[in-house]
Amino acid sequence: MGVFAWRNLLTRPLRTVLALIGLSVPILGVMGLFSVSNGLRDLVGETLSQIEGVMVIRENVPSPVFSTLPASLADDLRRLPGVRAVAPEVWGIAPNIEGRGMLVRGLLSKKGMESVFDQPVISGQDIEAHMNLNSAVFPRALKEKGEGRFLTLEDIGKPNIVISRKIARDFPDPQGNPRKLGDSLRIAETNYTIVGLYETGSLLLDVVIVMDIETARGVLNFAKDSISSIYVEAKNPGEYDALSATIEKANPGVDARSMNEVKANFGSLMGQVDKLLMMTVSLALIVGIVGIINTMLMSTTERFVEFGVLRTNGWSEANILTLVTLESAFLGLLAGIVGCVLALIGTTVANQFISGGVHLGVNPSLLGMGISLSVIMGTLGGLYPAWRAARLVPMEAIRIGSH
Amino acid sequence: MIEVVNVWKSYRSGIRWVEALRGINCRIERGRFAFIVGPSGSGKSTLLYLLGALDRPSNGEILVNGQNLVTMSEAMQNLYRREQVGFIFQSFNLISNLSALENVLVPFLPRGITTDQRARAGELLKQVGLENRLDHHPYQLSGGEQQRVAIARALVKQPLLVLADEPTGELDSKTGDEIYKILRSMQHTYQATLVVVTHDRRFITPDDLVLEIQDGQVALESGAIADGSSSPNGLKAEGSAGFNGEDSPGRGVSLKAGE
Repeated sequence: MGVFAWRNLLTRPLRTVLALIGLSVPILGVMGLFSVSNGLRDLVGETLSQIEGVMVIRENVPSPVFSTLPASLADDLRRLPGVRAVAPEVWGIAPNIEGRGMLVRGLLSKKGMESVFDQPVISGQDIEAHMNLNSAVFPRALKEKGEGRFLTLEDIGKPNIVISRKIARDFPDPQGNPRKLGDSLRIAETNYTIVGLYETGSLLLDVVIVMDIETARGVLNFAKDSISSIYVEAKNPGEYDALSATIEKANPGVDARSMNEVKANFGSLMGQVDKLLMMTVSLALIVGIVGIINTMLMSTTERFVEFGVLRTNGWSEANILTLVTLESAFLGLLAGIVGCVLALIGTTVANQFISGGVHLGVNPSLLGMGISLSVIMGTLGGLYPAWRAARLVPMEAIRIGSH
Repeated sequence: MIEVVNVWKSYRSGIRWVEALRGINCRIERGRFAFIVGPSGSGKSTLLYLLGALDRPSNGEILVNGQNLVTMSEAMQNLYRREQVGFIFQSFNLISNLSALENVLVPFLPRGITTDQRARAGELLKQVGLENRLDHHPYQLSGGEQQRVAIARALVKQPLLVLADEPTGELDSKTGDEIYKILRSMQHTYQATLVVVTHDRRFITPDDLVLEIQDGQVALESGAIADGSSSPNGLKAEGSAGFNGEDSPGRGVSLKAGE
């Protein structure tokens, strides 16, 4: 019967193709949205996996860029049990670079959504304190994939910076070549010498310009007794969650985020995003199901005589129901495959134009979900027309169909 | 043996109800070649479809070899249609995307086709002269060839009863002759009861049973075997009527009520 159902679809190729388009577009939408969601999940997961310690910032702010803490807090944290190292930092969105302010950078960018993520950010680091860290991200990234050197004590108070290769490319020299070691980069009104180039591979990290904390205070107009955040390492890497709790208990008004907590929060956030996506997608799917119902209704109405003839030859109502439902399920399967292939092609093409770590992900489980969803939609959409065709009295079917 | 006892059938056509059959009675012995004739709209096809359990009468009883089609469950009706009845339609009604051989095998599609069934279908197509057309689709066959495929489809299940609704209605007279030759030959070979609805009386022979339907009732019955019993409506025919003639009710027939 499966072969017969399949042939019935091929008998009306134009209608089948139109129905396929109608159903595969919502599937493509589902795959596209979830590939973006997966891409963000992977990006953040990859970024967080590079960070080990606890980030201490002011309570109720989303990131260190918006946080202000008293500089004296660093000494308070050093005295807490279980703390191995404490590294104060100043963070802020970079003012104009090479004469291009944030707004101009956004407008000139041809990267669309990506430009939201890749605004350069200044990280002013207490160099001496950071040299004591075991898990500092940027020195490791420079050592593994970069070139030049990271900031040392001799860079304190000097206009020396470490930037990512991405920033070097995004702000090329007057000849259009990426900035090299020894080149200067003008931030606000000051030229800074590039002493190191790092590469983390993460869009969220490769936007950071690292400099001495005092130098950063000057660029970002930060008060001398203020900092944005403090990076804290535990003596025992397995105790970060406990250390976070200790810090928050000892210092009301601060938020100590272990990376586990950040991951959990992000996971929860993405869960909410997925729900929102599902709601949006559900609307598209309903439209798809209505399309299938319409197609199958037209198809079954045209074939009343055929169903009547099949009934006269002993086919039961269940046989007719199965035949029509199989046809719509096959339609769903085809649409699922088409939608998934289009999604694979679309994300592959899109990934060529997105750099910095966002990788639209269409993994096998997402493909499986897309195809399953499409088959379910096809089957559901076919049930009513199938039921309608099956319950026809054979004599009526032949009589109606003959007229 | 088919017995139709006081069968009524009404159905809805648009906004009005049509009384297609009004207390019809008749009996067809096993192995007969029976014709149902009568003017358009007289209820011929409705009676035929009821004999095939394609619908249920509004009232009355239909007994086929002792089985009451009216009280039969839906599942039993499906079984009856699948195993005991073959249908032949005026418009052939072949499935367009199946080959001739596959069309013959349609009754067996839901349960899977066995080698024996396939061989039998091939043999039947050979018997109706289509051995070289097994893989042809309906659009590649002439009207006569399509009807032969339909005949093979009706016979592949080796039915007790074959029901044909105007089987030559869309064919020229020469092809119609061929189809009736095949039908009579097949009936002889398979010993099935054949009931044919037709307007064309040229194909009726003296040995055939003829039921003349008018306004949903049997107006005349001719060719019934004189076994001393009357037909259920109390009419009994003498001689044979209506063959080789036009569609003229009662031609050559005399009826004696209650004889």
